[in-house]
Amino acid sequence: MDKKTVTTISYLSRLKIDDGKEEKITKDLKNIINFVDQLNDVDTSNIEPLTNPLEKTAKSRTDEVTAKNLKKELLKIAPSSNEDYFLVPRVVE
Amino acid sequence: MTIKYKTIKDIKIMLSQKEISNAEVIQEVYKLIKENNHLNAFVTLNEDNSIKKAEALDNKPSNLPLAGIPIAQKDLFCTKGLRTTCGSKILDNFVPPYSATVIKNLENAGCISVGKTNMDEFAMGSSNETSNFGNVQNPWGENLVPGGSSGGSAAAVAAGIVPAASGTDTGGSIRQPASLCGITGLKPTYGRISRWGMIAFASSLDQAGPMARTAEDCALLLNEMCSHDEKDTTSLNEDIPNFEENLNSPLKGKKIGIVKDIDLSSLDDDVVKIYEDSLKEFVSLGANLVDISLPNLSLSVPTYYVVAPAECSSNLSRFDGVKFGHRSNNPKNLEELYVQTRSEGFGDEVKRRILIGSYVLSAGYYDAYYKKAQQVRRLIKNDFDSAFSDIDVIMTPTTRGTAFEIGSKGSDPIQMYLEDLFTISANLAGLPAMSIPNGNLDNKPTGIQIIGNFLDESSILNFGHMFQKSTNWHMYTPEGAKQ
Repeated sequence: MDKKTVTTISYLSRLKIDDGKEEKITKDLKNIINFVDQLNDVDTSNIEPLTNPLEKTAKSRTDEVTAKNLKKELLKIAPSSNEDYFLVPRVVE
Repeated sequence: MTIKYKTIKDIKIMLSQKEISNAEVIQEVYKLIKENNHLNAFVTLNEDNSIKKAEALDNKPSNLPLAGIPIAQKDLFCTKGLRTTCGSKILDNFVPPYSATVIKNLENAGCISVGKTNMDEFAMGSSNETSNFGNVQNPWGENLVPGGSSGGSAAAVAAGIVPAASGTDTGGSIRQPASLCGITGLKPTYGRISRWGMIAFASSLDQAGPMARTAEDCALLLNEMCSHDEKDTTSLNEDIPNFEENLNSPLKGKKIGIVKDIDLSSLDDDVVKIYEDSLKEFVSLGANLVDISLPNLSLSVPTYYVVAPAECSSNLSRFDGVKFGHRSNNPKNLEELYVQTRSEGFGDEVKRRILIGSYVLSAGYYDAYYKKAQQVRRLIKNDFDSAFSDIDVIMTPTTRGTAFEIGSKGSDPIQMYLEDLFTISANLAGLPAMSIPNGNLDNKPTGIQIIGNFLDESSILNFGHMFQKSTNWHMYTPEGAKQ
């Protein structure tokens, strides 16, 4: 974990690190990664990963509309919208 | 007649015997909120609506199980028409067009949602110091943290403002603040309560639960909060028992697992003594102590700090300034809209966790960190599975000490992460666990944690209730013991 890695992961996370905070955050992340590195000492050969405590297969359901159409309400709470769409800065020139 | 420090059960009796009207109950809640403004426990109030609902109940009485009971809702649950911030600047203007299933369940049972409680931003914190809306003060002391992340909910109950609050618990966020504020808080089995409408932090760990003054009140709340919900794919489709039924079952012959692997020497001597006194109390009630081993328990915190940030980085990618919430002013292009919105909207701790999550999930590191942590997670769960073959519940202290001072954990995040040492394993294994008050040190409450087997909330509520019938730690308030 160094400044270069922090630059890469902040790009992946779509986050900008303030100039003054780079050093502190690099140090924090390094400490956290060092802390979780103790997991490497554990023998986990032949152990299946546990992704969810229920371990149940998600059930499928019929593809029916069950929710009310909230288009108006949802567009109303958007930072920028017109009658039909969410608006963002121009993507295609 | 006052409702201050009263339980749900007390208020139900006061209402049914017409000692107080529904409107008077709610009016007093808002009076108490104002008197306790310095606690900063609430982010948004729902005053007009709540008073209207109470007046309607006075005009037309209801037989609903929790009719007219005031409840404070953690600001992480979507509430239709009522601002929901999750303690974050990125949602400071968000008014959801729908309510979470658990909020609907509570309101359908008659509860009145009086307001939204302060919390660590996106539930990431153990002291309520990461909230965009400022620290919450613990009612037990001016400079003390209430714990976190459900710190506002815990403070509101501890100050006697409301008899009940909702919370959520991803690594201890109900139990740790319950312990630090001297109240009772229960994290149910993963999947018991629908996560639909709960703002997601770490989806395989998050679980909502009740916070109240007593185990009995937690049972009343849990009865209404649980439901099978098709909108949440991890919602359990299991029988939901009546959680009140087993409360008074005798503890004679029941077995409490005591974890040999926990090193209590790092705890304050007085905290250990209080814990051991509580165990003696359970023995005097007829229970037996059995040594058990959870050899991988010490790996819970490092496992959690891979799994939770990974899931958080994925869940929080939805906050991009496009459809709702905060948006940065005048971005030059779409990329800048995302980056600026997120950089302005998230606080330091949330950013740290997103970055760690992106790191452990990135190509080349996925197997070394994320997969490895999930394998260790199974080892931890296997330990619990074998322990529970022979015992009814497991007990540990809830926290390493009593409420600490605001700012005292310094700037090293790991010191704060270790605050959840005893609570995190229940989330990793999906087990129900509760904290109840069990003592008082220098006028600060302590808590004991009771962990149950999968789906066995009834047993932990039974142990909690029997303890509270023979002790009065749950009756202690910042103003002294109440009858």
